[in-house]
Amino acid sequence: MRFKTALQKEPKHSELVSCVGWTTPDEVYSSADDHHIIKWNLTNNETATLLELPKECFPTSMHWFPKSAQSGAGKKAGSDVFVLTSTDGKFHLISRTGRIEKSTEAHKGAVLCGRWSYDGTALLTAGEDGQVKTWSRSGMLRSTLTQNSIPVYSAAWGPDSDQVLFTNGRQLVIKPLQANAKPQMWKAHEGIVLCVDWNHVNNLILSGAEDKRYKVWDTYGRLLYSSSGHEYPVTAVSWTPDGEMFAVGSFNTLRLCDSSGWSYALEKPNTGSIFSLAWSSDGTQVAGACGNGQVIFANVIERRLEWKNYEASVTASKQIQVRNVMNDTTEKLDFRDRVIKVSLGFNHLVVATSSQCYIYSTKNWNTPMIFDLKEGSVTLIKQAEKHFLLVDGTGVYVFSYDGRLVCTPRYQGMKADILNQQTIALSNDTVAIRDKTDEKVVYVFDAQTGKTMGDGKPITHKVEVMDIGLDQCGITAERRITLVDKNRDLFLTSVRIFGAERKVIKLANMIQAHAWNDETNMLAAMTDGKILVWYYPNAVYVDKDLLPRTLYEKDTSEFGKAPQLVDFLGSHLILRRAEGSLISTTISHYPSVLHSFVMNGKWDDAVRLCRFVKEENLWACLAAMATYAKDLNTAEVAYAAIKEADKVQFIINIKDIPVKEARNAEMALLCGNQQDAEAILLQATLTFRAIMLNVQLYNWDRALELAVKHKTHVDTVLGYRQKFLARFDKEETNKRFLQYKEGIDVDWDNINSKIEMEYQKERERPSGGGSSAVSGGHSRVGQAAV
Amino acid sequence: MADEALARAGLHFDELNKIRVLEPEVAQQTKELKEECKEFVEKIGDFQKIVGTFIEMVDVVAKEVEQEKMKAIGARNLLKSIAKQRESQQQQLHALITEKRMQMERLRIQQDALLKEEASQNEFIEQLILQK
Repeated sequence: MRFKTALQKEPKHSELVSCVGWTTPDEVYSSADDHHIIKWNLTNNETATLLELPKECFPTSMHWFPKSAQSGAGKKAGSDVFVLTSTDGKFHLISRTGRIEKSTEAHKGAVLCGRWSYDGTALLTAGEDGQVKTWSRSGMLRSTLTQNSIPVYSAAWGPDSDQVLFTNGRQLVIKPLQANAKPQMWKAHEGIVLCVDWNHVNNLILSGAEDKRYKVWDTYGRLLYSSSGHEYPVTAVSWTPDGEMFAVGSFNTLRLCDSSGWSYALEKPNTGSIFSLAWSSDGTQVAGACGNGQVIFANVIERRLEWKNYEASVTASKQIQVRNVMNDTTEKLDFRDRVIKVSLGFNHLVVATSSQCYIYSTKNWNTPMIFDLKEGSVTLIKQAEKHFLLVDGTGVYVFSYDGRLVCTPRYQGMKADILNQQTIALSNDTVAIRDKTDEKVVYVFDAQTGKTMGDGKPITHKVEVMDIGLDQCGITAERRITLVDKNRDLFLTSVRIFGAERKVIKLANMIQAHAWNDETNMLAAMTDGKILVWYYPNAVYVDKDLLPRTLYEKDTSEFGKAPQLVDFLGSHLILRRAEGSLISTTISHYPSVLHSFVMNGKWDDAVRLCRFVKEENLWACLAAMATYAKDLNTAEVAYAAIKEADKVQFIINIKDIPVKEARNAEMALLCGNQQDAEAILLQATLTFRAIMLNVQLYNWDRALELAVKHKTHVDTVLGYRQKFLARFDKEETNKRFLQYKEGIDVDWDNINSKIEMEYQKERERPSGGGSSAVSGGHSRVGQAAV
Repeated sequence: MADEALARAGLHFDELNKIRVLEPEVAQQTKELKEECKEFVEKIGDFQKIVGTFIEMVDVVAKEVEQEKMKAIGARNLLKSIAKQRESQQQQLHALITEKRMQMERLRIQQDALLKEEASQNEFIEQLILQK
């Protein structure tokens, strides 16, 4: 990725330009020390002087009123204003037509920085007098946040507009707006900090200073990246609106960097110092205010995407080149408008331009599906096998690959403009969105209808959720969602729950990133120095003990320090090293083959594959899969292969049970779902088995309750209770047992004959499903468990 | 005699017997002096003319010299600044080269990873072929 820069032949300003700002992706305003404010039209390259400022007014910074806040507040489009701060200690609110609507005395000495909050409700100014002040939308003073002894060169709003970041010499300070909250302060640079920016999508802080470095911070003040020294002080930094990249300006220097800090490209234009940088709302163009009176415009081009054997790169602002590596054919795709977002995956290339969306199939590059976009600035594209998702400033839209709008998931108070890759997930039947106002909440929608799932209640986690993911394969009812919370713990849960309580199972801790596989339900996660791959995460729902045995660990020391997990395609893991290079590595191919066998019900093939490979984790996967699918023969073989004798025994017993429902109940028991097992039995009117189940589990109260309720086998329960007490040499203390003991005699002959009768009855049931081997009447319920 | 008497009265006769107030000799000398003076004045005039043109010429030369001098200084400064410019250009190019080198390094690492993957896959295929 790099910048394509454009400079004018002759500077339009006669003095140094101090600030720039965008309104639409085609309109820029610049202001300079020659007191002129110039409006640039980028479509026809014309400029016009908007306004001439009074002679004593030297501008220092400008910021347009945020677009998203305008539509939200329902204000007229004509009320576009920007704030312009100047050296005479005032800030001016100036309308788009060039009328100064309000001038307010704000600071002693120059006002150095003025910023609107993201929701547009407040204005922040910082001055040479060391004060930082907030103002209402109409320009009334709200509060003075700080009083420093040195000038505050730059300030920025926090993502929720409830805290501000400002410079204090070499330090950075985060101050919440609440009156008595303690500010957070840390030493950031070796020289005076000149510029800061805080992105509201990825929540990261950017600073540039006189020590000629730029640095990336998180909100706790932890250093995430520090650049090497430049030749000159860093004078401007600016995040793209989507938080994926940022631009850095210095003397004759313009740099494009990834959000993790490493640099994509460097330009050395003849500009003098770049005093201010501003991105257009679509994040494809940046404007810079230059010290020599120029205004520099730069387009981001040569963005490159790779997927399987295809490579797509945006070669110019309106052109994409796609290369098929297998046969070395290239396709040139031309567009009417600027390309804003591109996504390649699942055999489709989705391109969003400023007015339309193009969908190409990898089979046919000539006839794309095209549909118009309501709002130009798409901020995110996410793909699944059957459809894809577009996010723009106003909402989330799911489209099928033939360009049909499938649905628009929406919940109360949704803020679509701040969704990013981590906070939204898509699979063939489900859309999951993390709420912004309450970060513990994840909304799940049906991707076909856009309605919230189940009873309409979102998934609520105990801790703030930072990252979500959905598995991509399998049937809809078994869709699983993964959550990484603020403590970096990874949890797995079902999207659809049927009546039962939601089971949230913790898989691992200290997870930096995670990704579901695109073809099979494997899960990869990045932890400190290791990649973890769960070949069959569903095993937690089958047999928790099996999960660690289906886990594959790979050391990442060969990939340098702290690589990031980017994607998990087929059996390839795609990682990004700390310095920015993409690397891929493979895991074993067998699990995906095993998955495909199991998906198609080819159990014999699956067993043969495991025998051929002779790997324990593959056998463990098969054991879990077979148990989950209730294929007892395969499960038996697999459990035997991983030397789980007790499980094998249990399965053999299950196989002997003549009634299908009872077998299912026993399988549920094997998976540890006692409640499910009991429910299955009761539903199939296998009351005796339900009672025995509770007896075997020493769940005496429940056993007695069932027996009394169904007026059967009360004596059996009492008999087993007596035996149990006798064995442990205890007295009966349970009141209910004492109560029932009085009326009933425990006669073992009687009990045994009754039990024998029950088994006889079971064998005679018409639905018995007697396909599996039925041996003599000596099978005992849950023998292995006793 | 008469001559003497006349001489006393301050009158003299010249060779052409014209009456003269001055002694013929003196008159002769005066005349000569006058002539010489005239000659002198003429010569001085000539000299002045020559000197005038000379001064003019020198002025012109001086001007030219001055111009050349300025030019030389300018050229010298230009030379110096060009050296500086080159230096900054060099610096810029160096920065660009470092950047490209980093990019190349990234691509090289990516290629290495891909090659490694290819090797491992080939090995895998071979293993399969051998086992069957």
